Amino acid sequence: MLKEEILKEFQKIVGDENIDDGEVTTNTYAYNWCVEFVNYLANKDPIPFSSIPKAIILPSTTEEVQKIVQLCNKYDIQFKAQSTGLGPWNQPSTDNCVILDLRRMNKIVKIDVKNLYVVVEPYVSGAQIQVEVMKFGLNIHMPGAGPMASALASHTSMCGPGFTSPQTGHSARNVLGTEWVLPTGKILRLGSLGLKKESDWYSGDGPGPSLRGIMRGWVGTKSGLGVFTRVAMKLFPYPCNTKYIAKGHSPLYDFHLPDFIRAYLLDCRNFKHLEKSLLRIEEEEIAFICSHMSSFAVMAIFSYSLESLMDKIAIGSMKKPLVIVIAARTKREFDYKQKVMNLIMDELNLTNIIGSKYEPKSLFYAECLRANLGYHGFIATGGFQSAKGQCDTAALCLNTERKNIPLKQKYIEKGVIANDFGEGAWMTSYESGHYFHMEVPTLFDQTNAESVKGIAEYMEESNQMDLVKHLGTPFFIEGDELHDEWGPHLMNYHIWLRKIKETFDPNGISDPGFYISSKKGDV
Amino acid sequence: MIMNNDNFLQNLTKICGSRNISREPKDLEEYSKDLSFLKGKSPLCIVWPSKSQEVIKIVKLANDLKFHVIPVSLNSRFKQHGNSIPRKDKSIILNLSRMNKILSINRKNRVVMVEPGVTFEKLIPILKKEGLKLLLPVMPTASQSVLATALEREPITIPRYHWDSSDPLLCIEVVFGTGDLFRTGTAAGPGTIKQQQKMGQAQVNPMGPTQFSPFRIIQGAQGSLGVVTWATLKLELFPSIQKVYHLQSDNIQDLLDLQYELLKYRLCDELFILNDVNLACLLKEDQQEISQLVGNLERWNLIFIISGRGPLANDKISYLEGDIDDISAELGLNFSKSKVEITDKEIFHFLNEPCENPWRMRLKGAYQDMFFLTSFEKLPKFISLMETKFEKDLGIYIQPINQGTSYHIEFDLLYDPKDINEMKSIKEKNMGVRAQLMDFGAFFSKPYGLWAKDVFSHHSLEIIDALKKVKKIFDPNNVLNPGVLCFDD
Ligand SMILES: Cc1cc2nc3c(=O)[nH]c(=O)nc-3n(C[C@H](O)[C@H](O)[C@H](O)COP(=O)(O)OP(=O)(O)OC[C@H]3O[C@@H](n4cnc5c(N)ncnc54)[C@H](O)[C@@H]3O)c2cc1C
Repeated sequence: MLKEEILKEFQKIVGDENIDDGEVTTNTYAYNWCVEFVNYLANKDPIPFSSIPKAIILPSTTEEVQKIVQLCNKYDIQFKAQSTGLGPWNQPSTDNCVILDLRRMNKIVKIDVKNLYVVVEPYVSGAQIQVEVMKFGLNIHMPGAGPMASALASHTSMCGPGFTSPQTGHSARNVLGTEWVLPTGKILRLGSLGLKKESDWYSGDGPGPSLRGIMRGWVGTKSGLGVFTRVAMKLFPYPCNTKYIAKGHSPLYDFHLPDFIRAYLLDCRNFKHLEKSLLRIEEEEIAFICSHMSSFAVMAIFSYSLESLMDKIAIGSMKKPLVIVIAARTKREFDYKQKVMNLIMDELNLTNIIGSKYEPKSLFYAECLRANLGYHGFIATGGFQSAKGQCDTAALCLNTERKNIPLKQKYIEKGVIANDFGEGAWMTSYESGHYFHMEVPTLFDQTNAESVKGIAEYMEESNQMDLVKHLGTPFFIEGDELHDEWGPHLMNYHIWLRKIKETFDPNGISDPGFYISSKKGDV
Repeated sequence: MIMNNDNFLQNLTKICGSRNISREPKDLEEYSKDLSFLKGKSPLCIVWPSKSQEVIKIVKLANDLKFHVIPVSLNSRFKQHGNSIPRKDKSIILNLSRMNKILSINRKNRVVMVEPGVTFEKLIPILKKEGLKLLLPVMPTASQSVLATALEREPITIPRYHWDSSDPLLCIEVVFGTGDLFRTGTAAGPGTIKQQQKMGQAQVNPMGPTQFSPFRIIQGAQGSLGVVTWATLKLELFPSIQKVYHLQSDNIQDLLDLQYELLKYRLCDELFILNDVNLACLLKEDQQEISQLVGNLERWNLIFIISGRGPLANDKISYLEGDIDDISAELGLNFSKSKVEITDKEIFHFLNEPCENPWRMRLKGAYQDMFFLTSFEKLPKFISLMETKFEKDLGIYIQPINQGTSYHIEFDLLYDPKDINEMKSIKEKNMGVRAQLMDFGAFFSKPYGLWAKDVFSHHSLEIIDALKKVKKIFDPNNVLNPGVLCFDD
């Protein structure tokens, strides 16, 4: 709850109906996915509730966000911004925090067809953007989280790998002009948006150095350094015909396949063979999707219920699966891409399981186009979280995956995480194979304290392994404790990150729980 | 500690050895000016370090003794923008040209690691032998530093490979203004570069470490935040077959419309538009030949290349040709054939090879360039403005960048340096026209020399404030290249 006079001041900004500090609402907002193991890691009870926010505030404009942030500075109250709000990183880290739920900022501000970008507010999902830009033959990059997630949150504040990354890259690399309410309440407009005359969204860099380097890294600042209110992001060509016809009922809609789309499910013999195949295919720049998954994950992406998952044991015995989807706008393009795939399969002695041993439902293709394969991760146990998140070469990703198997098996044997033979992985190429991402999704039971404890310990041990064996940096290195642990092994980056926090948020108002705080002493 | 000539030189000598320091008046004079109209001061000395550890020591010494350090990758007599000439007393030039190793070439992961002294002339043929292609700006000078070019966000000619505005730059090793060594992106660790490479890493992810991307603030900082001691750069594979399209028109809009469609569907590799003057300067070296060619070219020239590689190279070419023909037909555009024969070889030459002397100097002997970013729709407006101001000897180059989300447009004002009147007129017009372009919304994302002040006055105070904060973090004593950008205003 807020003090009466402070509540009134917030009400003046957003109107009475757009702020609530009552118990029901604030307690509800304390819940989120995976909070239980974050709690466990912080030596708290493994319950799915975070600190309870003091109030939930729903601003509708940048100016309202600015005034709220200024008021937070005045009363020394922290804030946490959320867009579509999925995941523990949306939660306050102390009980002196208000949540800025940005759901009323839900407009597509501009689709610039000629300059191939779109400008959106926080509560616009990838799916909403996609249907609008498809009208112009264009597409948007969506993270693996899926089309329901906020595109702004992904581009400005979170991670970035997605199923279509071979053609649409990484969220952080697709950012153009950005409107950013700093923790002090000042509004910073990056790049060409900061021009006094004729400002526009087409560039986010300069004049001079690019402040995008402060705004986020490989992962974002997760509301630890202000609030992003509008962002321009690149658009890419839609990979095929834009007719999208789905009929029937949930969950198994009937999808009318566009003319030129084809999936390949290939079984590589071993990690070396897989690496060779990934690099060879990506060098040809033909894949719309190029993902390596474990057999178990392949079973999951073709399943729409627990029962149908069990049906697929036959494809569950693959060695090192590789899923490729090609799509084309014209028959010529499609024929060429298929020829290339045939050539590579011959060269590498691979056969396409799809069409010979297995035929996915038509819905699979719809989910590829809509970047909606990620939710299948929930089918088996209802809960999953990913360890790792390495991003560099295919070799590094596969080395990490290989070394992780015995570790995961140890926890499977303990019975605390689901049995995927220790192999569960998702790996994608970016930008036609210029670099790769690999994460290790792990299925657990959120309602079982032993399972929560198990996955938390497994994640810790997995991080340790990466650190000691020089296997790159996992994506969930955030918060003071982890930064202080990893910083000394990574050029003491935590000292610089902390200086940025101190400089741009002198009062420590932007919740540092999933970023870094300025208060702790340097190493 | 207060600096005096003795302890300053003694210390520098201890770090680099006397053979790597020069106080020759001729050298000092050379480094105090460039081809811009900016007047610089004479540096105290030139220092040539040979490794990162020496750079660290020099920058630390500068912090202790309070002198300034101006990093220069190579000493080129063709420096154009006044960004590496001393603006303050007590400055030294840190010349990185002796750090000139190609540290690794990695075909599998399409990446190269180079020190700042590696030139285009040296790197291009070595990579070519491995079947690798460096992402080039339009015909760079042979003696130009590959690393410094990437650090300056120079546009490359293949927009579909320009995945982010920072490409082809990936990871860097940098000595911040504080004297601290840092490695960005995945190069940060864990582990040394050797240990990382043992695990299969190749420093190809520029982002991070973790929640910031410091390489982005070093890029575009004109050496005012850090000294880069090596970088990894993205490469592509060399095609085995290429086909050149050279379309001409008097109407730029027609060419712009076609290039937009090609870009939207990522159908071609190199893709850009040149006016008659700039195309002629790229194709010919001799003044007379250039003038003659200009007379035979249409005003606007769209050049694009399609390519294929491997056993299906021809299949790729024919699919692209078919798709491009369909698009052209749909647009209903007809372009004239060139009145003179320009061979594919001539075009490949300027796309793939560096030139000895800057091609922009070929017609008149000197030039001043104005370049900025803008959007598709605004290009014709800027062109009209410039063509009313400069009726002749105006080169124009239009380069879509960053996956076609913006356009680099460059106006090259060509003049005879021996003609005092012409030079004076260019000098005067130069500043006035720039201000007008800015009023029209030109986004000078790389503000150099004399015009930096004007650029920042066209931007919000918040940007300047944020940049100054960044400077305070990474170079709190204003040791590195003072006077550039907005840091001293
Ligand atoms: C099942 C699942 C799978 C996932 N898979 C992937 C994946 O494959 N690739 C990937 O990149 N990500 C993945 N994620 C994370 C995902 O990127 C983000 O969840 C998503 O991109 C953004 O939507 P969101 O609803 O999570 O955003 P939010 O939860 O609203 O925001 C994400 C973070 O950014 C902060 N934030 C949000 N909006 C703002 C704002 N306007 N200003 C400042 N800070 C803000 C929030 O506080 C939070 O910390 C996954 C998440 C889930 C739950």
